[in-house]
Amino acid sequence: MKKANRQKRRKDKYQLNMKLSILVGVVFVAFLVLAIQLYLITRDSGDQYRRQVLAQQRYDSTIIPYRRGAILDSRGTTLAVSEKVYNVILDTRALLDRRDNLEPTLAALDAHFNLDIEMIRTFISNNPSSQYHVLLRRLTYDEIAGFRALQTDRENNPNIRGIWFEEEYRRYYPNGSLASHIIGFTTSDNQGLYGLERSYNEVLSGTSGREYGFLNNESELERTTIAAIDGNSIVTTIDSNIQAIAEKYLRNFDEEYRDNHREGSGAQNIGVIIMEVNTGNVLAMANYPHFDLNDIRNTDALIGMQMLDADGTRTLPSTAINAENLLTMQTDQINMNLNALWRNFAISDTFEPGSVIKPFTVAAGIESGSITGNEHYRCEGKLDVGDFTIHCNNIYGHGDVSVGRGVEISCNVAMMRVAMNIGRNTYVDFQHIFNFGLRTNIDLEGEARTAALVYNRSNMRITELATCSFGQGFNTTMIQVITAFCSLINGGNYYEPRLVRQIVSPTGATVANIEPRLLKQTISPLTSDIVRAYCVSAVVGEEGTGHSARPYGYIIGGKTGTAEMIPRDKTNYVLSFIGFAPADDPQIAIYVVVDRPNVRQQHSARYATQIVKNILTEVLPYLNIYMTEELTEAQMAALAELQREILSPILKLNDDEEPDDENGDIDDTPALPPHIEVWRDFPIDAATGYAIDPNTGEYVDPVTGATIGGSFQSVGFDVLPPVGGIDDEPP
Amino acid sequence: MSNQTKRKEVNMFDFSLLFIVLFLLCFGLVMIYSVSSYEASMRFGDAAYFLKSQLLATGLGLVLMIVIANIKYPFWEKFATLAFVISHVLVLLVLSPLGIERNNARRWLDIFGTSLQPAEVAKLGIILFMASFICKIGTKNIGTLKGFLTVLIMPLPLCFIVWQITTNLSSAIIIFGIVLLMLFVASPKYKHFIVAGVVGMVVVMIIVFVIINVAASDNLGFRSERVLAWLDPEAYAQGRGFQTLQALYAIGSGGFFGKGLGQSMQKLGFLPEAQNDMIFSIISEELGLFGAIAIILMFMLLVWRFMYVAREADLFGTLLVVGVMGHIVIQVIINIGVVTNLIPNTGITLPFISYGGSSVTFLLIEIGLVLSVAKFGKQIAVEKEQNAV
Repeated sequence: MKKANRQKRRKDKYQLNMKLSILVGVVFVAFLVLAIQLYLITRDSGDQYRRQVLAQQRYDSTIIPYRRGAILDSRGTTLAVSEKVYNVILDTRALLDRRDNLEPTLAALDAHFNLDIEMIRTFISNNPSSQYHVLLRRLTYDEIAGFRALQTDRENNPNIRGIWFEEEYRRYYPNGSLASHIIGFTTSDNQGLYGLERSYNEVLSGTSGREYGFLNNESELERTTIAAIDGNSIVTTIDSNIQAIAEKYLRNFDEEYRDNHREGSGAQNIGVIIMEVNTGNVLAMANYPHFDLNDIRNTDALIGMQMLDADGTRTLPSTAINAENLLTMQTDQINMNLNALWRNFAISDTFEPGSVIKPFTVAAGIESGSITGNEHYRCEGKLDVGDFTIHCNNIYGHGDVSVGRGVEISCNVAMMRVAMNIGRNTYVDFQHIFNFGLRTNIDLEGEARTAALVYNRSNMRITELATCSFGQGFNTTMIQVITAFCSLINGGNYYEPRLVRQIVSPTGATVANIEPRLLKQTISPLTSDIVRAYCVSAVVGEEGTGHSARPYGYIIGGKTGTAEMIPRDKTNYVLSFIGFAPADDPQIAIYVVVDRPNVRQQHSARYATQIVKNILTEVLPYLNIYMTEELTEAQMAALAELQREILSPILKLNDDEEPDDENGDIDDTPALPPHIEVWRDFPIDAATGYAIDPNTGEYVDPVTGATIGGSFQSVGFDVLPPVGGIDDEPP
Repeated sequence: MSNQTKRKEVNMFDFSLLFIVLFLLCFGLVMIYSVSSYEASMRFGDAAYFLKSQLLATGLGLVLMIVIANIKYPFWEKFATLAFVISHVLVLLVLSPLGIERNNARRWLDIFGTSLQPAEVAKLGIILFMASFICKIGTKNIGTLKGFLTVLIMPLPLCFIVWQITTNLSSAIIIFGIVLLMLFVASPKYKHFIVAGVVGMVVVMIIVFVIINVAASDNLGFRSERVLAWLDPEAYAQGRGFQTLQALYAIGSGGFFGKGLGQSMQKLGFLPEAQNDMIFSIISEELGLFGAIAIILMFMLLVWRFMYVAREADLFGTLLVVGVMGHIVIQVIINIGVVTNLIPNTGITLPFISYGGSSVTFLLIEIGLVLSVAKFGKQIAVEKEQNAV
């Protein structure tokens, strides 16, 4: 029994071992099959698969953004700069890799960022394999610093995962709206769209870097990084202090006259250019309205502008944009109006310059030898030219007018007589010499073409010649007038106007200095001296029209301009003043244009000269140009008050300019020759304060005798239509 | 004196088995680092992320292995039923809040901050339980159809819940496969197995045939699609066949000696999480056919050692070893079968080499049992013989 048992057990054991061997055998066969399959794959498809592996490699590359160059003012103040910003990216896959990651990460996000955590939670559960989801865009380093500190502290916060920061550059304009039209702006991907950002786009742009993988000779994947090359910076000729002063007085003007006569801003356009006379450097170029460069699409800046229709035209009478009609505007129309806002009035808009052209007419006469400067003309208040009768600004006549007095009192008749002496062909030639009709090639985008807006030898007739002599009938841009004017007073040197004087590498080394570019000699120094003297008399002379432009303590030269707009209905005017300072050694030129001020009677250059005076009062001392004239006590008090206001902006005094009017300043009424003072006897209209001509019923300035509402109402000559002008459509 | 010497001989530790296991483990760690460093540094900023976590699990497993290897394995027989019950409970716990969902599958348990795959516990549990159960029934009864069926029915509930609750059909198949192999070795008969094998093959062929023929009609479920992708991976290159095809590219492009350790291109994003199921294809790519076959040889050597250990022991010890061997062998065959597209794609790890904490820890516990059988098996067999006498 025992033996049988043992035998049975042995038999069992034998069977068991047999089965075990069979099992192992089967397993070995299976392994063999696997090995054979491996061999077959390698043998049959090896080459094909090897190619396939190489073919499907994505040489994934990431772009390393470059930093766009900065825009600096002439003193190194930053006007535009690119800042590194960070996009917060959520990598759901990495976040969900460990279950413990979710809550700490969400808690950290909640603590440091303004995020809707529930939305993120929903996103994560819906997209568990997402690897790139932008949570927040364009945060500054300070904004992410807190979270980063938590994230990098792996010891205490091992579970904050799946969040990383993508670097990018954002264009930032530290001074907001300062010099907005000059600086311009970029697209979100850093391509310049307007202003210097566009015209110097290639200088400011760098080259993006790249990080990429490639297969080397041994078919191994290698990674290479090509660093980004940052863009160069530009140093402009703009002085941001002068620019700020100019903009301040434009703003003040707007505040003063906003909604004054009708709804809307203080004037349809106001422009200021301040230029160095001897270099062509633009120190300031300001327009109103302006806009915030950091928020260019903010429609608040549009309020007060004359509305453009959806098709880009302006139906007259135009309406001002206000908060209500802004809401009803479609996107296209808003864009249209924004384009008009961004437009640089000082270089892109053309207008009839008016009497500021008179010094040019005189200069052309003297330079061409057509007049000597000693001529005297008889002003009867009008002149018959061709089939038309053209009136002077004083229709009762200025009497005997010398060339110099013609500039001083802005006599149209004298100028027409000078132009007649010059002759049509020579006059056209001189317009070319002064660059009217040609671009100045200032280094900004968007300068208007004016070739079709001036007369040439074939289409200038005698009436056109006559009106051109006092700045009507042809169109110019502001930059054309001031650039030519600089040559008129600096001895005839015509410099190309410019805004950039230096290009600097990212490390601060100078890449290029841009020197002033003398283009041509417009007139001789001798002629220049004469014209300069005439311009000084226009400001300080007894009968000068530009008294009100003169800042206390300085003598400046200049010329006012009052140009009537088409239609010649004596309602719409472009008022201007062009001047230089100091009178004996001109350093800067200033040109202010007020396009249709928001007043009932626009016909007064005072709207422009006031701005000039205010700006120069601050700018001349800033430029270390010393006062040459003694101040009266009233003037000193006014200046002290201004100083107080500048030094303590909180104590805002709105009436800082009032005292000079009351105290009878230099800009006070000059005594006029008695023999033509017929208007002195006209009755004064109680409502307006103007005298009324009993013969015509027109308003007359009781002091100067100038008819309110234009100087040549009976003229019906052809005028070339303005292009890109004030009433024109936006680009 | 001679008795003492004999005793010492019997209680020798099986160092060759231990060496093979350690070799596979070290090789696996090197490969995990090679395969996962790219993805780990991209996702976690730490190239050794996967390596570190695997090292931890391996260390824990080795300690447990040494401890278990020095405990006489009959000790565990008392816990067989308990292990069986625990296996079921753990799988069911996946449904509780303790369960963790990853990659759209709920297969893990969160135990004191570490994740645990209950299917791995279930494999160990079923080996222990079935070894004990078969011993209780006795080899004679197993030979009968009733015994045969009884043994086969025992693991079915566990297989079913593993399949349904953790949606892990492959683990269910492995559990059933382990039981089948143990039963095969224990049973004195062949007839049942031949019949079962033929029936099984016919069923598989019919299923494949049906899937091919109804492929036109949609809504087949992802398993059917896998079968179709298996038959023609290129046709499903962007879908179900993507992983398989990329694995084949990896193997094929490796050539005979491979591209060199660390030089795989397929791991750079084409075989996502290649450190898990697809590690063998990267081994083939980097070390070539040579390295791949060397690994297969190592597994053969391991099976060979298992056979020796199993032969010397008593029935319980033998069945334990057969169970562990079955577990490893089935996983190796399925894993390599998948990457070489011999069988449809299913997620099974390569023992000792693939990344996976639960898997390596429990495998090492099983190796601990085998080492215990190697150490004490002969002695216990002799004692039982003497007792029987």
